[in-house]
Amino acid sequence: MQKNQLRFVFTKRLGIIVGILLILLTIVILKFFFLQVIQHNYFQQKATNNSIKLIPIAPARGLILDRHNKILAENKLVYNLELDPTIKHDFEAIQKHLKSIAPIEDADVAQYRKITKENYYSSTVPIKSNLSQREVASFLARQYLMENITLVARLERFYPFNEYGSHVVGYINRINKEDIKELQRKKKFSLYKGTDHIGKTGVEQMFQDSIHGAPGFKKIEVDAKGRVIRTIEVQDPKHGDNLQLTIDIDLQKIAVEAFQGEKGALIAMDPNNGEILAYVSQPDFNPNLFVNGIDHKNWGRLNNDKSKPMLDRVIRGIYPPGSTLKPFIALAALENNLRKPPYTIFDPGYFTMPNGSKTFRDWKREGHGEVDLIKAIAVSCDTFFYGLGLELGIVKMNNTLRAFGFGEQTGVDMLNEKKGLLADEEWKKNNRGKRWFAGETVITAIGQGYTQVTPIQLAHATAKIAVANKYKTPHLRLNKSSPLQEYDVMSDMPRHDDLMQFIKKGMEDVTAPGGTAAFLANNHYKIAAKTGTAQVFGLKGGEYIEEDLPDHLKDHALLIAYAPANKPQLAIAIVVEHGGNGGSTAGPIAKKVFDYYLQKSQ
Amino acid sequence: MIINNLKNLGSKIDQTIFACLMVILVVGLVTLYSADHSQTNEFISQVANITLGLIGLFVMSNTKPKIIFTYTPFIFIAGLILLIWVKFFGLESNGAQRWIDIGILKFQPSELMKLAIPLTLAWFYQNNENNITVQSHVIASIILGIPFYLILTQPDLGTALMISFSAFAIIFSAGLARKFIISSSLLLLISSPFLWHSLEKYQQSRILNLLDPFQDALGAGYQTIQSLIALGSGGLIGKGWMNSTQTQLNFLPEATTDFIFAVYSEEFGFIGVLAILSVYIIFLLRLSFMTSRMQDTFSRLATLGLIVSIFSGVLVNLGMISGLLPIVGAPLPFFSYGGTSMVVSLVSIGIIMSLYSHKSLIAN
Repeated sequence: MQKNQLRFVFTKRLGIIVGILLILLTIVILKFFFLQVIQHNYFQQKATNNSIKLIPIAPARGLILDRHNKILAENKLVYNLELDPTIKHDFEAIQKHLKSIAPIEDADVAQYRKITKENYYSSTVPIKSNLSQREVASFLARQYLMENITLVARLERFYPFNEYGSHVVGYINRINKEDIKELQRKKKFSLYKGTDHIGKTGVEQMFQDSIHGAPGFKKIEVDAKGRVIRTIEVQDPKHGDNLQLTIDIDLQKIAVEAFQGEKGALIAMDPNNGEILAYVSQPDFNPNLFVNGIDHKNWGRLNNDKSKPMLDRVIRGIYPPGSTLKPFIALAALENNLRKPPYTIFDPGYFTMPNGSKTFRDWKREGHGEVDLIKAIAVSCDTFFYGLGLELGIVKMNNTLRAFGFGEQTGVDMLNEKKGLLADEEWKKNNRGKRWFAGETVITAIGQGYTQVTPIQLAHATAKIAVANKYKTPHLRLNKSSPLQEYDVMSDMPRHDDLMQFIKKGMEDVTAPGGTAAFLANNHYKIAAKTGTAQVFGLKGGEYIEEDLPDHLKDHALLIAYAPANKPQLAIAIVVEHGGNGGSTAGPIAKKVFDYYLQKSQ
Repeated sequence: MIINNLKNLGSKIDQTIFACLMVILVVGLVTLYSADHSQTNEFISQVANITLGLIGLFVMSNTKPKIIFTYTPFIFIAGLILLIWVKFFGLESNGAQRWIDIGILKFQPSELMKLAIPLTLAWFYQNNENNITVQSHVIASIILGIPFYLILTQPDLGTALMISFSAFAIIFSAGLARKFIISSSLLLLISSPFLWHSLEKYQQSRILNLLDPFQDALGAGYQTIQSLIALGSGGLIGKGWMNSTQTQLNFLPEATTDFIFAVYSEEFGFIGVLAILSVYIIFLLRLSFMTSRMQDTFSRLATLGLIVSIFSGVLVNLGMISGLLPIVGAPLPFFSYGGTSMVVSLVSIGIIMSLYSHKSLIAN
């Protein structure tokens, strides 16, 4: 290539190169225009999000008190060592490091892993909770060595009465993924910013919203390393409301202890206003185990226990009512103009179907002789009710039972209450695909057959007998300062007091000489009651000899009662699972509860 | 007499170029003042860098092209030795060995190559100007290849690319045949997968990030995102001097060096960007005009190489902060904080002024 040619090529190619540079510069300018003018708002928002942070301030959870202001659930100040779950940690190194300061067990590490895997966390997560003062001091002195571990003061839920209130008070636990879904569905998740715990059972769950409160926030400006430059705005949280229960924790303790380890449930309520004073489901558990996520060992123990300590039998235990149903069947008879005293029947110890197809035995083999409605309740005469049931028919019986609240939720302020069951022809056709037999109507009248009730339904219905028309919905939240309208709903059961008198008399005679719970008689007050024994094991022609049967096949013992009979102050329902005869097992429990409550209030 | 001498000294200075330079330097300093949060006070040391660079500019503009031509091979060899030195004894920072510490100042030999490569290639073609063949282009490529490899493996992809841009521009303008241009482009395309694998992991992730920086917002995409936020939030008129939240709150990395123009964009907006880039464009056009008036091969090719070296630096830097290019680590010439880059850039301008104002030099 020659010199001149070279110069020519150069000039041309210089033009090309400068042209390319200018085009590229134009592209860059266009890109700047796009970013700075067209997309300005988008990036403006990004810049704000970069530097302005909202830090939620969690509200303090409200206390739960009993009716006499005894604390059932409180917040205890604890010091935890916590880790940031967004960072990977070398647990062995941490354990080694803290060995002489605040030893961390393998179980603590497992628990930390479980929480960070399954639960929601708004900030740091404890690796060791509830440090002693010595541990706190020791950690503070050497804190600079462990910059990833922070000492955090937290308000931790504490249930001072441990097992005693377990089912009614319930417990809180860390928020898990299902809780988040549920909160998002209810559009309440934003209220849980900064909160790690949520009520899982009992009133902790039922009144979660009001006990929890609403978070506040702190608006801060931060730099790229997250350091706070300044606080722009602070809004204080709305702390949770305290919750006062109708429960009398002292009465509750008496009732729990009266069970002496038996399984079952007890409800004691003031029939005049529907306030529940004792709410016992046995066996129980210690709610404090759950507060920071229950550990594997305890959870396995509670969950695999055949006696189901986690089951709230008061509202979710389903039992055949046995003879405790008889007073209500008796009222059904009276309302249908049947068996009104002094009408009597003769009980030979059995009842035979009119067509002679089947014979039903009375619990007393030799029979009760001449029996009117009052005596039939007092001695729990099966024969009287067999014939009555057949004559009334299942529809009329169920109508009256429904008016007493059976087969429906009572509306007590607890979640997931069971409805029980009032079976009839249609139910059997739909659920068993079979025809209804007249014999099934007969045994329904003595509380066997398909009928199923919950302990709270029994207490509810008993209270209705005790106070007739003045009845209010059973409830757990004490209606003290602000009147709670929802409890003032009167039941739609205008019963004739004159008919109710016969039922009451029958129940009073249960504790009179000759009655099935005569031993409940005492000099201080009169108890009206009805015992029941609910068959668990179908006896096919064989004899029932209690002592010979293994525990889990023994009958359930039931008792409903109210006292004082003339001016009822307390109505109770008791189920003792596999307790055998109703009067002998459930009776003493009732006696202790009545004694404590009625004698204390006098 | 002294005044006369000073006048003479200034006579080699091109006024348009000098005016553009002063605008860019002053705006750069003003922006640096806002961006600088370091304890070392980069503002003061940048003033020193500029002073040193301007002295270099004056000296070079008054140096006869003949002398520059003569010393060119020595500059190249010195640069190569320094690059090898840095490979073994260099200071490491941010995972790259780029620095030499000679007591009072730290020095980046790769920046020197931005000056040495154009001069050396121009020198080479000048010496063979009557017989430029394919062989010449191969030798020119080798001259580029050695420092390119040393810089690439520092690793400093940005500088390696910029020196190769300027070298290619020289080889291209020295009359490389069209068929070679096409075939070598094809070769590059075919070898690109292998080049990809020769890149460091962090370099690969930076390139991938370009496609979607928000995918890895806290990792490799972080710098790009923060830079885009700075630009975008600046808007049309900017947030005002010293009011860049991205910078004041330290979200923007390397705010005084590679990302200083993002600070400027955030504080002065698109209007400010347009104004300063206009100055850069005038600067480019004036330099191109000067090149076209030059008489000899050495001057033309060296000047063209230096222009491409400087402006590919501008393009790579702006492309990087606006998300058009991956983060490769390239300062904005005359604007970013950094001693070697500033001095080398200003000296380059001094050389161009010398080559332009002395016109017919090699002729003797």
